[in-house]
Amino acid sequence: MDAFLRLENPTEAQRAYRRWTLLWLTTAFVLFAVVGLLGLLMRLNQARWLSLPPELFYAILTLHGLGMVGTWFVAGMAVLGQILQRYVNPSLRASQIAYFGTLIAVLLLLTATLIGRLGVGWYFLYPLPFYPSGVWPLWASWVFLAFLTIAGLSWTIWVVDYLRAIASRYRLSEALAWPVLFRGRELDVPPVILIATVSLVAGLIGLLAAVVLLVLYYLEGLGTGLRNDALLMKNLTFFFGHVLVNITMYLGVAGVYALYPGLSGKPPLKTKRYVAAAWNVALLLVLLAYFHHLYMDFAQPLWFQRLGQIASYLSSIPAAVVTIVTVLALTYGARGAWTPSRLFLFLGTMGWAIGGMAAVIDSTILVNFRFHNTLWVPGHFHTYFLMGVVLMLLGFGFRFVHELSGHEEPPARSLGWLVALGGYGFLAMFFYGGVLSVPRRYAAYPDEVASGATLAQLATVFVLLLLTGLIIYAWHYVRLLRQAWSSG
Amino acid sequence: MTPQMQAFLVWLLWVAVIGIVFGIAVRGSSSSSPPAPERVDRMRLLMLLVLLVLAGFGLGLTLPRAPYPTAAEVPDRVVFVMGKQFAFALSEDPITNEEEYEEAIAYGSGVEVRRGELIEFRVSSLDVNHGFSLYSPDHRLIAQVQAMPGYVNRLRTRFSEPGDYSILCLEYCGNSHHAMRGVVSVR
Repeated sequence: MDAFLRLENPTEAQRAYRRWTLLWLTTAFVLFAVVGLLGLLMRLNQARWLSLPPELFYAILTLHGLGMVGTWFVAGMAVLGQILQRYVNPSLRASQIAYFGTLIAVLLLLTATLIGRLGVGWYFLYPLPFYPSGVWPLWASWVFLAFLTIAGLSWTIWVVDYLRAIASRYRLSEALAWPVLFRGRELDVPPVILIATVSLVAGLIGLLAAVVLLVLYYLEGLGTGLRNDALLMKNLTFFFGHVLVNITMYLGVAGVYALYPGLSGKPPLKTKRYVAAAWNVALLLVLLAYFHHLYMDFAQPLWFQRLGQIASYLSSIPAAVVTIVTVLALTYGARGAWTPSRLFLFLGTMGWAIGGMAAVIDSTILVNFRFHNTLWVPGHFHTYFLMGVVLMLLGFGFRFVHELSGHEEPPARSLGWLVALGGYGFLAMFFYGGVLSVPRRYAAYPDEVASGATLAQLATVFVLLLLTGLIIYAWHYVRLLRQAWSSG
Repeated sequence: MTPQMQAFLVWLLWVAVIGIVFGIAVRGSSSSSPPAPERVDRMRLLMLLVLLVLAGFGLGLTLPRAPYPTAAEVPDRVVFVMGKQFAFALSEDPITNEEEYEEAIAYGSGVEVRRGELIEFRVSSLDVNHGFSLYSPDHRLIAQVQAMPGYVNRLRTRFSEPGDYSILCLEYCGNSHHAMRGVVSVR
């Protein structure tokens, strides 16, 4: 079979690295299945087909949100490491530290939520962890802070190692393609290095904000007398959260740049001037767009609010336009077979475009006034996550396991239809819930928004379609796993 | 048509455009020859310009209408709102501490105002973040602002129709978040 991932003639170190990529992806897919089923439980509860106690619902809400964000961040990082391996030498040790750190973090999160019943949402908005209203014990808050600390530390080590690996071959200006951008020079820096650098630099800044946030939490929690400022803590939380989620998207896009040309029978992409410009703009603006999470905090300085809308509008346009047109151009007249991996990368790019616009609409202050914290919000982020980056990374994983095991991919048709129909049907219920003003994060719907229950019922039907597609995917993936591992 | 539906239709239009464009690419993947690089570059530039113009248009149209209070308008009436797990207290007198909160909540989580008046809600919280939101009698979200400890957020609104406007909490605040509510009666 054609080897688009260029895995031929590996050294022993490369084989070891691949096995770890396989381990990372398989672990992420298992976590995805578990955390996804928890999401289904929540929708069943909202549909009134299940009756979970509120404290369990909100603990699951917390586990689902943090679990999904974390799972796809680490899956994206693992995919990026595999891609980077072609050009530089990321450390296997750093990846292993991140892996075991993540496992410990997962155990801590499970303990805090399922045993401790801690329900603070993915964003643990200050000072909620200190106000359990009699539901969770104090130890659960401390276990939760330990989870954040260990996940944050191990991921920071991972991010720093990738940056080190890139810096060992490219200067920062080269990795950011500035000679191409400012002087129009030809440069032997592939787009994935540029996208990786943008993502990792932004990610590191986001993780540093998380460090500050955690230190402030610890200082208050340890009884130093410090009383934190709620607005500052909210800014730090959303800066970190927004950046982490956005760079996870970019990590998936790196997978598209690395794999889609080959799958479409085209040569690898080059870093042209518009590519360099688009991703440098993305780096600058992704750091400013998070203000849109605080539009309804009227005490926030007005210029931050305006800047939030301007940055939100502009940050997504250049990188999305460049990527979308590139994928469309690679598709048209390409004659490559529609394998699941190619289809998922294609559908993932489409999901980015559709979810991205829903996010841009919600980043309009005037619109956010009516949509903030309604179901529109999970609608848009599930679109660019589930139908965007998740499909991109599932596509990469599918190709990876097939190339490693030396098997041809099966036809994509039924798998593609099940995932697309199930996924978009599930998402449509969120969006329409936003139109009907149904709040998000509600264990049960009061009379004013009882339509939320009907929408949740319809959503679960579509989830079953999606689930069927994902089970077919898993069957193809799992049956090749042993062979892929041994030939890794 | 509600503002929510207008936003939804804009998004649906975009979904249709994306669906058509991606559909054309799929249909062309088996039968057509690849596009010339110059044509792709032109398409990229065109799409970028169209989106930038749309973004500029959207910013110009919506930013000046952001719902933040201005000095130019003077409210007819001020209502103080204090959030605390898991009820909103509303009063025409300031609520600044637990005692005043308990006193206000003793009258119920509601307040009565007159139709057409410009009301300023001064919203804060005694514990965690809450979301103060107003739902019209036909159950549509018409306005909201966050209730944040240590800050007062000023939300101004004019009720054009009489009736009971439900208050729901729109910021996750703990175990009974979904049951945290109040009412504004417009006469």
